[in-house]
Amino acid sequence: MLPLLTCLVAALTLGSQPASAADPQAGAQPEAKTEKAKKNEKKPKKEKKAKKKSDKPAPDEGPTATDTDAAPAPAPADQLEPDGKGTRVTWKQHPSFRIGSVFRIDLEAKFQEDLRDTYVGEPDLPRTQLHRNRIGVQGHLFKQIEYEVERELTEKELDAGKTPKSPWKDVNVNLTFVRNAQVKIGKFKIPFGLDQLTGVTHNDFVYRSLGANYLAPARDIGLMVHGSFLKHGLQYWSGVFRHDGDNARSSKIQGGDETFAGRVTGTPFRSLTRGLGEIELGTAVTVSKLSDDSFRPNGLRGRTIMTQHVFYEPVYVKGERRRWEADVDWTVGPASARAEYTWVSDDRRQQGIGDNDLQNARARSWYVSGTWLLTGEAKTRPVKAGGEFLQGGWGALELAARYERLSFDSAGGTDVPFRNPRAETILPAGDRALTLGANWTLNRFVKVQVNGVREQVEDNERNPVPNGAAFWSRVIRLQFVL
Amino acid sequence: MVRTRFHAFAAAALVVLGGLLSPSRAHGQSTSTDAAGALFDDSVVHDIRLTISPRDWESLKEHFKENTRYPADLRWRDETVRSIGIRSRGNGSRNGSKPGLKFDINYYTADQRFLGLKNLILRNNTQDASNMRELVSMKFFRHMNIKASRESFARLFVNTIYVGLYTIVEDIDKDFLKKNLDENDGYLYEYDFDEDSRIPYAFEYLGTDPAKYVPMPFKAQTHESDPRGDVIERFIWTINEAGAAAWRQMMSEFLDLTAFMRHLGVENFLAEEDGITGDYGPNNFYLYRFEKKNLFTFMPWDKSNTFWESPEYWIFRNIKDGPEDHRNRLVVRALQYDDLREAYLNTLLECAASAEEGANAAAADGAAAPGWLEREVGTLYELIKAAARSDTIKPFSNDQFEAAITDLKTFAKERSAAVRRMVADERPQR
Repeated sequence: MLPLLTCLVAALTLGSQPASAADPQAGAQPEAKTEKAKKNEKKPKKEKKAKKKSDKPAPDEGPTATDTDAAPAPAPADQLEPDGKGTRVTWKQHPSFRIGSVFRIDLEAKFQEDLRDTYVGEPDLPRTQLHRNRIGVQGHLFKQIEYEVERELTEKELDAGKTPKSPWKDVNVNLTFVRNAQVKIGKFKIPFGLDQLTGVTHNDFVYRSLGANYLAPARDIGLMVHGSFLKHGLQYWSGVFRHDGDNARSSKIQGGDETFAGRVTGTPFRSLTRGLGEIELGTAVTVSKLSDDSFRPNGLRGRTIMTQHVFYEPVYVKGERRRWEADVDWTVGPASARAEYTWVSDDRRQQGIGDNDLQNARARSWYVSGTWLLTGEAKTRPVKAGGEFLQGGWGALELAARYERLSFDSAGGTDVPFRNPRAETILPAGDRALTLGANWTLNRFVKVQVNGVREQVEDNERNPVPNGAAFWSRVIRLQFVL
Repeated sequence: MVRTRFHAFAAAALVVLGGLLSPSRAHGQSTSTDAAGALFDDSVVHDIRLTISPRDWESLKEHFKENTRYPADLRWRDETVRSIGIRSRGNGSRNGSKPGLKFDINYYTADQRFLGLKNLILRNNTQDASNMRELVSMKFFRHMNIKASRESFARLFVNTIYVGLYTIVEDIDKDFLKKNLDENDGYLYEYDFDEDSRIPYAFEYLGTDPAKYVPMPFKAQTHESDPRGDVIERFIWTINEAGAAAWRQMMSEFLDLTAFMRHLGVENFLAEEDGITGDYGPNNFYLYRFEKKNLFTFMPWDKSNTFWESPEYWIFRNIKDGPEDHRNRLVVRALQYDDLREAYLNTLLECAASAEEGANAAAADGAAAPGWLEREVGTLYELIKAAARSDTIKPFSNDQFEAAITDLKTFAKERSAAVRRMVADERPQR
């Protein structure tokens, strides 16, 4: 924890520097900021730059093409300072080294450390956890080649003995030769799921929703074309990937193979909802091949949020995996609301005890969530405090709530339902969760999140607590972003 | 402080959310009966039929060192139970051609039972060419009024194909405890032999840390989340460290030493090479601590290495000979007491008499009739010989099977006299 505390002190010190030294707008008064936000809302068409909800990115606002809340990837020319000539080192959003407009490299770091507690009898849960410690670089070469490399250092999120994943997160190149048909190659998030695509440090909650964690694919290696039209009123992403993402795999689960993915988002009500904020609708599909080469079941599994207790074991699958999701993201002033529905269907060809075909295995999830900034700032992700801590203000304080469900079963079946992985009729299993939280954004670098999660595993025999009871999990997260 | 804040936060949230979600639900309980008695009838060879995905069966054999469970349906006579979990099992007997199997009847459905049983074990007998050391031994334990698993023979069919002769074994679990000890809420431990350790654990004191004893070598089978290794630590400390004057009195809190001597006597009459005083250190037993007491009892397990070598197998093997670090500290210390030593020797003599029960009665042809043990071997041989010979997957030839049976018969015939001689040698002339 000592390095984190050192970073924290440095961040608070950096955050309290005069605005002109660190960020020209960081020290703006809340009122002024709010006024500016209002102005932006009223005159969206006059914006020149591709900023959706804010006119200046926070340190962790990376130009990730699939990050729904980061600004659409700005062209290198947009990132240049007006006086950007020659070789220089700057530190405005990130420590940055630049050579004119030819080359730029920004250093990035994300640290998230947790204090956690849950039901009695979960001996494997570390009460303190260096949850996520990532470093990376991003930048561009010439004007049309962007790159990004990010690596997890602690691997606490990756494994904990349960879900080994690669420590390499985003490793990719984005070619912007054609603005409306950019090409991204490497490892990055498969474009599926609003919550999953929201940047890890931008989330309104400590943990992503159940559907984002266990049904959405997350990262994989692939090639994707993406772009936007109508001043970002319509955006698309479409790509092919080697597998179907980290979330579908583990040390014991092979996961899907070749995957096609497509996602579209739009703001069709932009002209109708002036004064009611911005409503963005999105939908996505993936289609993956599923093999039964592994001797272990290759289906999806259901786990609880914090303790990752398995309440639904994978079943044997073969054929295709099809995902579909629809989402809505509404932001108005200091408030926001989100909802998302995800549906997954896995073929089970020749997976019966007698090598017979079985009804498809099905997984579904949904959530509704809302946030409210008590300190009045316009809602952005990440939140930008009107008055930064130790700089005449106390930062931004936000309340958040989410209710969700993740469930598994089979699409029909005439047999008696069983839990076994070759059951013709899969016994339904699900988890309902209510998350209540508060987010305190001290400044651009530091955020504290407090969440309480009440979960109810619906299958009593797979419930981690006795008698099928609901249980609470609690977490305090300290986040530092450079 | 953090916990306090957590609790305060949770309490506040509960007030807001009280009653929002549904209350807990209870699930059904099942009762255990002795409906399995017919399954353990050892006068017949049973037919056990499994229906399982052919891929899963091949996978189980290929990955026989893993405990991966596969779904299957089980049928015996007219009884069928669906959706059980089966897995490979065993230590030295694990085999990829003829896997030892554990049937977890309730793996996918918690309250599911088969003839009242939650688990069932099918031993593959891959370390025993005769196929019957295990069954005869357990039967002899029960003959000597020591609680032991019931067993019988079965032909196993997988998807209608005969895959070999197995021994059905009653698992030592809560149902077994209830049936035999009339309670099952105590602490049950399986002794878990560390195959990688060059020096076996021989009940020596390892220090005050309970983690030195649980889960290795004493693997909790009940109360897994709170296995109370501290009581075992006290038990082991007493065995090793308690002073001579107080030893018997202190040990009485933990063990009925006379009963333990009886258990040991039966094992060594059977020439158990891998038991409490085995060649590889102590092995193959369960330890049970009674409810609300510190009193333990031993229960026999896995007797596939009995009838070892010859009828002359020494009754003090690995007690008075063998490597020092293999000698069971509990046994060595207990046998220093004359009354316990006498109890041990008397048990051996009792075993000798039991094994010869009926031997003196003249047969119809005037030849001496065999004793109980020899009769059992002969009867069981006639029972299983066809199934054993047609078991083409067993790791022994039919000639080896016949030779092993011959050795067993010889042992059964001559062991009693040999033990009597050894006991007499140990006792001072009167």
